[in-house]
Amino acid sequence: MTVPLAAYEKIVGPTAITQLRRLGKKLGKIRVVHVNSTKEGGGVAEILEWMIPLMCELGLDTTWEVLQGTEEFFEVTKNIHNGLQGRPVDLSHKGWQIFQEINEKNMDKLRPTLKDADIVVVHDPQPAFLLPLCDKRKGKWIWRGHIDISRPFRPVWKVLRTMLEKYDASIFSMCEFAQALPHIQFLVPPSIDPLSPKNRDLEPSELETVRTRFGIDPDRPLLVQVSRFDRFKDPVGVIQAYRMVRKVVPVQLVLAGGSATDDPEGNAVLEDVLEAAGEDPDIHVLNLPPTAHLTINALQRLADIILQKSTREGFGLTVTEGMWKGKPVIGGDTGGIRLQVVNHHTGFLVNTPEGAAHRIRYLLHHRERIREIGAEAREFVRENFLLSRHLREYLTLFLAIRRGGDVRSFEV
Amino acid sequence: MTPFKVKDCALLVRMSGLPPAINLRELRERLAACSENALFHHFCEPLLRPAFDHPDYRNDFAVWAKWYLADRVLAERLGILDPFSMGSLEELRAVTLDIIDERLSEVVAIPSAAQGDEFYFLEATTIVFDTEDRIASARELAPAIRKMTNGSVYYHFLEARRRTPVGRDDFSAWLKAEEKKNAKYIRALESIDFYFHTLSNLKEEIIAALEKVERKR
Repeated sequence: MTVPLAAYEKIVGPTAITQLRRLGKKLGKIRVVHVNSTKEGGGVAEILEWMIPLMCELGLDTTWEVLQGTEEFFEVTKNIHNGLQGRPVDLSHKGWQIFQEINEKNMDKLRPTLKDADIVVVHDPQPAFLLPLCDKRKGKWIWRGHIDISRPFRPVWKVLRTMLEKYDASIFSMCEFAQALPHIQFLVPPSIDPLSPKNRDLEPSELETVRTRFGIDPDRPLLVQVSRFDRFKDPVGVIQAYRMVRKVVPVQLVLAGGSATDDPEGNAVLEDVLEAAGEDPDIHVLNLPPTAHLTINALQRLADIILQKSTREGFGLTVTEGMWKGKPVIGGDTGGIRLQVVNHHTGFLVNTPEGAAHRIRYLLHHRERIREIGAEAREFVRENFLLSRHLREYLTLFLAIRRGGDVRSFEV
Repeated sequence: MTPFKVKDCALLVRMSGLPPAINLRELRERLAACSENALFHHFCEPLLRPAFDHPDYRNDFAVWAKWYLADRVLAERLGILDPFSMGSLEELRAVTLDIIDERLSEVVAIPSAAQGDEFYFLEATTIVFDTEDRIASARELAPAIRKMTNGSVYYHFLEARRRTPVGRDDFSAWLKAEEKKNAKYIRALESIDFYFHTLSNLKEEIIAALEKVERKR
């Protein structure tokens, strides 16, 4: 469902929308292509889902291409992903060969589109090898890293770096993620779409339907963590924290995970989570399809506290989503969660299950703080992490890079 | 007097290209080598960043010294620096380096941050938007400022000092076109001790100063 730009005016104000229109006019009908590796599931696909139509509405000729891969390829790219997030992985020469071959196959199909584009934005490592394959390219190529590569496993980084060096620019969510590269590196945190099915306001009856469907008790506090079943999201640590709280407060836990076509590890992690949950009827482990946006939205709204106890996190859009719904977030003290969760203002940063349990108990015993922190969190998102700011920075970046990148200022 | 054009601004932040600093000696080295844009970003542009609290200090170097080097003496010395009172960014750089050199000569061990808490040198591109709002006279200034965004206040009152005429805000530069007639407004704007305010506070200060002139008319 495409939402027109004007619909966002009542949320972000007319100034933000006027600025976007002016930037669009300045850029004109340039050809922009985004490339990633999955059409649904995960934060990148969610961002592109709103970004492409809005860029089109602003006058940019924008398209979205999805890299077609095999199961073997996504095994390799999951290893690359894990390696970039610092986990030692065993990536053989054959693995890199598969990576290259799939990129080559896709390039055969995408060449005409990519060669003539004015701007190509390549998201994450999976399609990164497309650039070295695109000879006689016309436009500027930008690599957008969505994950935390602050301390990458060096053997993986060294190979990927040879590909990224050729780009004209890169974008990272935070300065801590940027690496020494011979081109300009912009810092753009991601954002959420407040009118998407995952974030729009819901009717009380919609909340009740979801509550009943999953057997959630309305009289006891609910903790919710929404994220892929991924070890870096530490779902087992969340269960440990819940058990510590459960001894003193009759709390319920929802671990709602999805899967993505480019994440083959999800099932193994889900099995670990189910084993850790055991027979506890108050732990609801939900393996939801990537399209279950309204269900996720309702679960976040039903929660008293949102958890995102990641040990590594690129940005953590589920944190932003929880905050937008006026909930305090207890998040891992890592990556982009640090940009969003400010102790005592929007939630609490924690490093251990014990830390999470401590903050959960504090909030449950100070219900007024849940409301106050939640309200502050929502406004913080409105100011900083909604799509208008994100879009403005992308459009500005396109203008800047077409002018050479490191311009001091310009007027639109 | 030609109407005053109200503008708004936003930043696009990028890495400066310098490696991060983990200790005070590295900070000194990078500060000596960084661009003027990086210096300006860390001294003047933190105001445009999302924040909740009134930070102890207005510039990133002082904040880093306090929280990550745990050197409160250095933080206080850096924290009082007012970049807008300096003749140029090079003068600001020289004064900052002097403070750090002095501190390095006093300490026994070089203050260091933990891994993960390094200082990253950043720069920004300022994107300026014409809001199409116009102000016709000095009397309209206060109500117009009341409607401005923080970005507009920053651009016209602080960022302006980096542009010609250097060291002057856009409002008083505009009022100078009829200097005699607008002398009281200009003096009111010049009397504001602006560097240590948040943008919202600064906006209120400017409005209060201008309204005081109006009341005395």
